[in-house]
Amino acid sequence: MELKRWKIKLKMKCLRASEIKRSISENDRKVRRISMWKYIAKRLAMVLVVISGVTLVSFVAMYLAPGDPAELIALERYGQDLDASQIESVREAEGLDAPVYFQYFIWLDHLLHLDLGRSIITSDDVLEEILLKLPATIELTVAGLLISLLIALPIGVLGALQKNTLLDNCCAFISLIGISIPNFWLGILLIWLFSLTLHIFPSYGYGSLNHLALPALTLGISMSSITARLTRASLMEVMEKEYILAARARGFDEYTIVLRHALKNALLPVVTFAGMQLGYLLGGAVIVETIFSWPGIGKLLVDSIFARDFSMVQGCVLFIAVLFSLSSLAVDILYAVLDPRIRYDMYD
Amino acid sequence: MDRNFKFILLTCMLLAVIGASACIGGDKDETAKGDSFGENSQDLVVGISSDVNNWYLDKFADGDARFVWSQVYETLVRLDSNLNITPGLAESWETPDNGTTWLFHLRKNVTFHDGTPFNSDSVVFSYSNKSYVRQAVLKPIKSVEAIDNYTVKFVLQKPMPLPFYLTHVAWPIMGPGCLDKAGNFVKPVGTGPFKFESQTKDQEIVLTRNDAYWGNKSLLDKVIFKVIPDPSTQVMAFENGELDMIIKVPEYDVKRLEAKKGIQVQRKLSTFTDFLQFNCDKTPFNDTKIRQSVAYAIDTNTLVNGVLNGIGKPAGGRPYSPNMMYSDPDLKTYSQDLDKSKALLKEAGWEDSNGDGILEKDGSPLNCTLLVSKGAWAARHTLMAQVVQEDLRKIGMNVEIQVLDEGAISKLEGVGNFGMILRSGYFVWGPYPKHFFIHHSKSPYSHYHNETYDQLVDAADSTIDPQKQKEFYYALQAFVIKEVPAFYLVHEEKVVATGPSVKGFVITAEDPWLDLSGVYLERK
Repeated sequence: MELKRWKIKLKMKCLRASEIKRSISENDRKVRRISMWKYIAKRLAMVLVVISGVTLVSFVAMYLAPGDPAELIALERYGQDLDASQIESVREAEGLDAPVYFQYFIWLDHLLHLDLGRSIITSDDVLEEILLKLPATIELTVAGLLISLLIALPIGVLGALQKNTLLDNCCAFISLIGISIPNFWLGILLIWLFSLTLHIFPSYGYGSLNHLALPALTLGISMSSITARLTRASLMEVMEKEYILAARARGFDEYTIVLRHALKNALLPVVTFAGMQLGYLLGGAVIVETIFSWPGIGKLLVDSIFARDFSMVQGCVLFIAVLFSLSSLAVDILYAVLDPRIRYDMYD
Repeated sequence: MDRNFKFILLTCMLLAVIGASACIGGDKDETAKGDSFGENSQDLVVGISSDVNNWYLDKFADGDARFVWSQVYETLVRLDSNLNITPGLAESWETPDNGTTWLFHLRKNVTFHDGTPFNSDSVVFSYSNKSYVRQAVLKPIKSVEAIDNYTVKFVLQKPMPLPFYLTHVAWPIMGPGCLDKAGNFVKPVGTGPFKFESQTKDQEIVLTRNDAYWGNKSLLDKVIFKVIPDPSTQVMAFENGELDMIIKVPEYDVKRLEAKKGIQVQRKLSTFTDFLQFNCDKTPFNDTKIRQSVAYAIDTNTLVNGVLNGIGKPAGGRPYSPNMMYSDPDLKTYSQDLDKSKALLKEAGWEDSNGDGILEKDGSPLNCTLLVSKGAWAARHTLMAQVVQEDLRKIGMNVEIQVLDEGAISKLEGVGNFGMILRSGYFVWGPYPKHFFIHHSKSPYSHYHNETYDQLVDAADSTIDPQKQKEFYYALQAFVIKEVPAFYLVHEEKVVATGPSVKGFVITAEDPWLDLSGVYLERK
């Protein structure tokens, strides 16, 4: 019986391989490659448009935010004992008296010369400051994403396979808790457990994988809840498809069907969501960065916004927009890896 | 490409990114216990909330930066732990003409961290026109000149008690070695007990002992300031032994830490006082009776004991801390009296005509906004604002709390679109009552205009005769109690916690200031 099943499996595998070979000819592959590069080039051009838009919007938003930027900058520089003349001198020195569109074009002109300027508040070189924080941000983002997938995928798959059972309800409950717990509270809870009680990880700081564990876990857990529910829903939908029914009819066991046939197709919306989450992580991990003293771009951006540090805000926004656009492009390319039916000339 | 291979490749790439980034960060502090201290280590690790964003005299040192500055830089005039004035880098000072000219006689045999001698030139350099303090607080300085190597003359536009002003750690003496030949800032060079060694942005600042220090040399080898913005994380890192000292213990953690074996918690009234600033230009607070009724309505004891866990001292309207100079010990402060408060409102013409619990006058309800900043004091101020709101509701005033960032508050303040602002610590850097200037008509923060008050402040700040100063400042305190341009709520307490290894630490009243002289470590 076992031998027979194994033979059927082998036959199926050979059949599927020959089918794919037939459907994708050599010529077809060439077309796919060319259209992929065309698509990437187009998307990179779009990135430039997106960056221009994002930086313009952030510039205008900063300009429209409540409070006089010159006064806030003067407060940072001179403390509380201010007078109108100091505010005016800051306005003049920093070019804040020029129209906003003119200020923006000046910034763009500098950008074309790869000069992001200096921080209005600290006089630090903006590019240097951002490059200093970038490794920490990428490290935390990727680790957080990886942990979230490691948690979410098994929970999602288990939930889909054991739907409406006690196990599924437990998974749903865990996900609900994960969604409900605020990041800052979860972070403090993890510090209490792993640092104060178990003495496994340091409670704050940056510089080693040990330091990365808790902030990445905090981000990963909070992200994994939605991803798990999404995986479950998507997998349940795929499991209703005819080819799954056919696989069942051929006698494949449930886990083989899930891992070999269903999961890959079910992952498409999950990959999309993970891509979106990546963008959120790049700029939105501020709370986690604050709790764990993690020197990333998110916190730098928020601090700069409060201080009306225009040049630093623009620099951070630019970098986050670039990273977001590139991660979104990477997700789109990953689609084709996950599903060979997706063709880039579809976008033309 | 085989799917499994793709998956493995993708996972490896992700791990490589994490690994590479971690390597860029450099491997330090591998253990959960943070730095693994040697038994004889004399490296003190202190937690601070914000990094030092500026080391030079052209900008204001804000936040916790001043705790670090106070180790590297020194001032001409110092304060002891009880805010009494003592010699610093100046051994003595005098004024030949009642406060318009000041002569400072400098301490000899003092060197900067780079080996250059401290003398008159460095004082002239530190108080040049480029220094922010000359452009801000010390605008009345006309000139600073070196009479000889160790005597400096300050000439002012008006008489001023200058030595008090020169105690502030944010405008200290810096060495010309701070700058390179082109005039660009290179590194901090002061005369303090510790030298600057390194700074990792938003992570840590390392200072090493200055072996050539003119005073009592520190017993510590190093002080490492760790930047941890979140107060809860700071406390947990401290409890975990990753920090030896935290200098701003949150109110809700004080009692718990006090009960812990080996941990020392020291408390002292600081110079800061939280207060409600009224918009006296607009109704309802343009009426003194309304401001007085608010003063009678708020129970400052509840604020301290209920909200702040007993940390601080109820102010009851007292404008500044009892530990500040010229603080009138017999000043009659407010205590909660709702009947008196309601009577004052009735006298002012406010009555509840429709029975909804909120008073009205000429058809307008008694509504106002209370602005709270999202800044450093947000945690305590938000809770305090809620108590104020509740107390004022009892007398028929409806208060809407708005927690906003500084930019939004300054905009609302600029157009006068607010009722009250909850504030803390304006012009209270030392014992001198400069704070009274906040309600002066010329102050950018003032929302109160009274000629008598202005004259009193000007007169008090233009005399150097202690007896006269005392009379003026007593009169000003009585004036604030009677006229209530602002209602003072809580005198803040400074709370510092030290770990079991830390010996010899004595807390000071001055804020922001950290005195580490006599501190040493006994690691077990």
